[in-house]
Amino acid sequence: MKSIEYNEQLERDVLAALSKPSPWYWVALVVCALLFVTGLSLWLYQILKGMGVSGLNNPVGWGTYITDFVFWVGIAHSGTLISAILFLFRAKFRNAFNRSAEAMTVFAVMTAGLFPLIHLGRTWFFYWLFPYPNQRGLWVNFKSPLVWDVFAVSTYFTISLIFWYTGLVPDIAIVRRYATGFRKKIYSIFSLGWTGSLRQWWHYNRLYVFLAAFATPLVISVHSVVSWDFAMSIIPGWHTTIFAPYFVAGAIFSGTGMVITLVVPMRKIFRLEKLITINHFEKIAQTLLFTSLIVTYSYIVEFGLAFYGHHQFEAAHFTYRLLGDYQVLYWIMLFGNSLLPLTLFVRKLRRSIVYLFIVSIFVNIGMWLERFVIIVTSLAKDFDPYAWGLYKPSVVEIGITLGSFGMFFMFFLIFVKVLPVLSVTEIKEEAAHE
Amino acid sequence: MDRRNFLKLLGISSGTALISSCGVDKANEKIIPYVIPPEEDIFVGNPAYFTTTCTECPANCGMQVTANEKVYHDVRNIFPTKLEGIAGHPVNDGALCMRGQASLFRLYHPDRIKRPMMRDGDGNFRVTTWKEAYAKIIVELAAATGEGKRNMYFSGRTTGTMSGLTDDFCKEMSVERLPEFEVFSHANLKKANDIVFNRPEIPHYRIENADFLLTVGADVVETFMNPVASANHIQKAKDKNNLSWYHIEPAVSLTGVQASKRFAIKLHSEVYLLAFLLQSLSQQNSLKKSLPARISRLIPDYSITVIAERTGLSEENLRLLLSRFANAKTPLIIAGGVSTAQENGLETAVFAALLQWATGMTDNTVDFDHAENYGSVGSMLDVRKLEDSLKNKQVGVLFISRTDPVTYLPEAEQFVELMKNTRLRVALSDFMTSTVQECDIVLPLSHSLEAWGDAAPRKGIRNVIQPAIEPQYDTRSEGDILLQIMAQKSGAASAQFYNDYLIDKWHSLYGEGETVGMLERGYREEPVPSLPAILSGDGTEAFLKNAGFVVESSDKPVLVITPSIRAYDGRSKVLPLMSEIPDPLTTITYGEWISVSDKTAKKMGWKDRDEVAVELNGVSLKFPVKVQHLLPENIYMVQRDLIYPQATPVDSRSGEESWYVKDISVNATGNHIPMPIMSGSMHEDNRGLLPPEEEEHPYEHKEEHPVGRMYAPHEHDNYRWGMAIDMDSCIGCSACVAACYVENNLAITGKKAHLNGREMSWIRLEPWVKDDETINYDLMLCQQCDDAPCEPVCPVYATYHSKEGLNTQVYNRCVGTRYCSNNCPYKVRRFNWFDFRLPEPWDKMYNPEVSVRTRGIMEKCTFCIQRIRHAKDKAKDENRLVQDGEITTACAQTCPTNAITFGNLMDKNSRVSKLAHSNRAYRALEELGTEPAVHYLPKKESKEEA
Amino acid sequence: MNEQFVFGEKHEFLQKLKDLVKGGISPKKINVFTPYPVHEVEEILKVPTSPLRFFTLLGALSGLFFGAWFTAWTSLDWPLIGGGKPIVSVPAFVIVTFELTILFGGVISFLGFLILSKLPSPKRIGTPVEHGNQFVIEIQSEGK
Repeated sequence: MKSIEYNEQLERDVLAALSKPSPWYWVALVVCALLFVTGLSLWLYQILKGMGVSGLNNPVGWGTYITDFVFWVGIAHSGTLISAILFLFRAKFRNAFNRSAEAMTVFAVMTAGLFPLIHLGRTWFFYWLFPYPNQRGLWVNFKSPLVWDVFAVSTYFTISLIFWYTGLVPDIAIVRRYATGFRKKIYSIFSLGWTGSLRQWWHYNRLYVFLAAFATPLVISVHSVVSWDFAMSIIPGWHTTIFAPYFVAGAIFSGTGMVITLVVPMRKIFRLEKLITINHFEKIAQTLLFTSLIVTYSYIVEFGLAFYGHHQFEAAHFTYRLLGDYQVLYWIMLFGNSLLPLTLFVRKLRRSIVYLFIVSIFVNIGMWLERFVIIVTSLAKDFDPYAWGLYKPSVVEIGITLGSFGMFFMFFLIFVKVLPVLSVTEIKEEAAHE
Repeated sequence: MDRRNFLKLLGISSGTALISSCGVDKANEKIIPYVIPPEEDIFVGNPAYFTTTCTECPANCGMQVTANEKVYHDVRNIFPTKLEGIAGHPVNDGALCMRGQASLFRLYHPDRIKRPMMRDGDGNFRVTTWKEAYAKIIVELAAATGEGKRNMYFSGRTTGTMSGLTDDFCKEMSVERLPEFEVFSHANLKKANDIVFNRPEIPHYRIENADFLLTVGADVVETFMNPVASANHIQKAKDKNNLSWYHIEPAVSLTGVQASKRFAIKLHSEVYLLAFLLQSLSQQNSLKKSLPARISRLIPDYSITVIAERTGLSEENLRLLLSRFANAKTPLIIAGGVSTAQENGLETAVFAALLQWATGMTDNTVDFDHAENYGSVGSMLDVRKLEDSLKNKQVGVLFISRTDPVTYLPEAEQFVELMKNTRLRVALSDFMTSTVQECDIVLPLSHSLEAWGDAAPRKGIRNVIQPAIEPQYDTRSEGDILLQIMAQKSGAASAQFYNDYLIDKWHSLYGEGETVGMLERGYREEPVPSLPAILSGDGTEAFLKNAGFVVESSDKPVLVITPSIRAYDGRSKVLPLMSEIPDPLTTITYGEWISVSDKTAKKMGWKDRDEVAVELNGVSLKFPVKVQHLLPENIYMVQRDLIYPQATPVDSRSGEESWYVKDISVNATGNHIPMPIMSGSMHEDNRGLLPPEEEEHPYEHKEEHPVGRMYAPHEHDNYRWGMAIDMDSCIGCSACVAACYVENNLAITGKKAHLNGREMSWIRLEPWVKDDETINYDLMLCQQCDDAPCEPVCPVYATYHSKEGLNTQVYNRCVGTRYCSNNCPYKVRRFNWFDFRLPEPWDKMYNPEVSVRTRGIMEKCTFCIQRIRHAKDKAKDENRLVQDGEITTACAQTCPTNAITFGNLMDKNSRVSKLAHSNRAYRALEELGTEPAVHYLPKKESKEEA
Repeated sequence: MNEQFVFGEKHEFLQKLKDLVKGGISPKKINVFTPYPVHEVEEILKVPTSPLRFFTLLGALSGLFFGAWFTAWTSLDWPLIGGGKPIVSVPAFVIVTFELTILFGGVISFLGFLILSKLPSPKRIGTPVEHGNQFVIEIQSEGK
């Protein structure tokens, strides 16, 4: 067909999702919002009563909240991988996913950013983590990995937001054309008065390339910085140089899993099967498999280093991970992260949407458990056996974790009704090249 | 104002009106003047010090009270906030045990009886006035005498002026004074000394003169006699005479594992061991004084093989003990505790006494002249006599003062019934104990920190008790009560105040000048007549002829009721700190447990916290299990305060009650009880907390690689604060732990928090199961590492390294990320999970020099930085540096054995420097490269050959 | 009055553009509107590289220098010893500097884009220019 017909059909297909929501949508949104509000109330309760409402104790000072933090930052990374890195590699299949993936990144970073505040004993002084001039002449400790986190996550959030927004501007201009009344005004404002002129596209292209170029080292550095929250410590299981690449690979792995979890139902509900095809999914599945192999390799290396190095504490620790109090979680993690993805070597399974969805759920669970196991087992049994103690998440921690999921999905649900879930402009551009 | 002027004031009696609370209605007083007016050069903000005596247990250590001026609920007053021993005191030389440190909790306890009470017609207690109560007592006393009944005064151990006053009172008011009631009556020891020496007393054991100490069952560093003094003197003897200390016991105690060498002996076989020693030493001609033939032929004579079989000790060990005795210049044997509180305990004590005489101990290490004042303490025989009198309805008015028979007697129900056979029961007590609840009149006693008095723990010493705070409630001292009753009976307008009475008595005994000296020092040592111990041949022969040595020692399960270092006989259980701090042997804090041999546990498949039902004396009691290393298979232990008093055989010769419950059966119930055990594991596994082992460990980690430092060490400014902890001196008494809690306003978190792994101790004892012979401890506190892993990870600089080598914690900067505690390999940091706060009125105890932390803040040992600050300020005013010995931390200060030394590592002459550089010294987890400022000296391995 | 040529297909639009340039119209007077970026246009109109790169460089360098200076200066302003590590810890500060380089670089690039594209444009927000999926060539007339 002629390209203009194709383009207009494309617009209608994508923007159909922005139509009046079905009752099921409202149900889903309300459920997510309720979870979110419950999470917030539990957080308020925790601030008023103290961190004791969680299951944390001596020696396990970090638990569910830090797991959630690392988990959500990890989810965010996949979005940037798909948007930025695949863009630099000119991987065409990214167009089916990149808008949702970028949205996922922004929402995941927002969710992740709450957790450093949630896990603080005196949350009301959180702003002391930022360096600002004050009467006391006190700045922050730039040697602390937590301060690196502040800078890395803030940068990541800012750049991701800018990147997502930049990509959205031409698409918002499209929605503007179809919108009416008050909504049209809003879209007009947010599209900044975009006309699609030569001058605008000229600078836009450069900006997009530069942002992608900035975002790429950001993906690697941010999760490396987050992993250094652990690697800069001295306790066995944390104190290892492999953490940075291990965590980055894990982040991309978990994020890819979450992309599949989000996009499979979204595609079905909004009837986007023609635009997001099985070939696209197969490519994502290959990414999943590849990063799973890297993660598995990291597990093997961890164990190898511990035992080959004849290091008493490391060996004792890894034995504890495999056979100790949390071994069930460890084995589930191994299954979800290392074993199950191996089945994706089979082409038929790679091309089955249902199977991919199931695998992605296991990947999400497995990766959450991986962070939990790393954090809790290292703290539960470290150098001084007198101090050993176990940890179990409390109702408040579970509630806040569920609240974070509620928040993330709530934002995502709002996103699908307000903005196009596919990068329409880029699809048009790709179609024109064929 | 100094003491001299103050006493002059007493003469004018304007000051005394402030001190005695006679007739003043406490509830309406708002402005409370100082108890002791401040001296001219005291500034507000500086603490005041008082010397007095600790009355938490009968040991009566000399105590110095630190009191701070504070505003509490709009009232300004001076509050005692810290207790310490008096340096140089003949009893405790500056140390104070954990119960002493915690006795402030008794002073401020919310459950103290606040007003005198009397039962009304309906049988309920109602508040009364002192006058009314006294009137009733006087009336009843007269009526009872008229009926031909006997009035009786039944109290806990009483010494000094109070004892004399009680005698006067009893004479004046026609009251019989009964032998005093103490759970730890040491009846067998007294009776044995009566038999062997004609001196029914407990001698003062001069451990400091000994070069070989053998303790048989006596828990000398836990509750026996004066544990603080014993520990202190053991250390002195180690330093001076190279003391070797062996302990023999049938069960397991903290004392046993702390001795240089411990021998596990079969049940009831101590007699054989002692007989063997006597006979062998005699045959070897190693005895200083030979026993008369008529006695020595009555001592069982067995071959070493038989003795080895009877006692369970190897022949090698028997020979070792023998050679120790033979070669020691000044040996000392102390029998007591579980070894004398058994059916043949009297025999054991008699043999110990014979050994003491025959090896010359009575000349230098067993001192009857300075005997402990247990002369008027009775035994179970006296309790039975009282019960008979009650049964025969012979008793009119019964006074029960500072004792709690209903709680401590096995026949509690019977005793309560018998008590009803009296006309009137008057209780003098600080708490509503079970006994007090059975009485008609309740006269609340002031705490010793609120009252005047004195104490004579042993002959030749007089301790002063003086108040550091006005009585907080409408309570009075026992002395005042007795004087007031006598005065009211005789119709006098008012009674003499007890402190006046005391001063009069002291003046008449010592003279005015000596009295002033005594008040300043807090105690007085006086000469005692010297009477050498002479062997009573008749008494000994008569006893030995009828002695019963043999007690069947079968393999059936036996329950041993042991004393508790935290609760003594149970009386200190009411102090919340004593449940918050773990029992040193098991590390359990709250709740009860039964100690089970690790061999039994393995056989039965029992683990810690599994519940067992113990059938004994017709009842079934349930306890969670605590697996105890070194405990023989058939022995079970429960601490005295954790179980109802059990009916056990009473020796009719002495009145000593056995601590062994036979005919028990122990079976699992299948339940699992949550129980707070503070230790995560007792296996050190060569990790570097104890000194490194020689042998290869499968994952051997260091030795070849000396720890290097990546960056140059930073410079210290004049001081580098450090510590040396000698684990050979340390006896595991946890006094340091208690002192730290009180000094630094540590929170008491409670059982639920402990089960969740949240307690606040800044210093702790860590027991490690070493091998089949020993349990070795280490004392863990913030190591103030030079290259601290906790410092670089704090995002807000709430913890940083000071130029003086301290790892500081800035409470008001902490945002509570808890990364520091994650990174600490010693896990000494503690987080405030909630707003833990001492409930009122215990918050009167807070040390105003140390902030009270709110929720969300991390805390840890600061090396008592508030004390360092004080010393530095003082030194700055005097334009000099702080000298060695000027500062000591709370933990180091209270340690009975001076195991902890604090000081400036940059001063080469300081004690801590010398210890840190000794070739025994090591540091914990050295290989991690944290460069700790705390140096440890390990327990000396006793590698001795026979 | 601006002359406009509207096309539905890209190849038609490109052909016309080539013709116009060959026909002597100055590229400066030609403006195009496309639904997506068409790179051929830049070749035809001989458009130089966008100057946005200067903003990016400026941003990145300012982030670099600020990061290095700020971390070092604040540490030296109140030198607190932490774990025996040097007061100016280069490995730690490199991380913060790196993040700030990217942050400043990205933000200033974005601002540069807005400045260079003259966005947001209040006129165009009020009355949007909608060309839909059409390719439009607009030639500025004389005298403007």
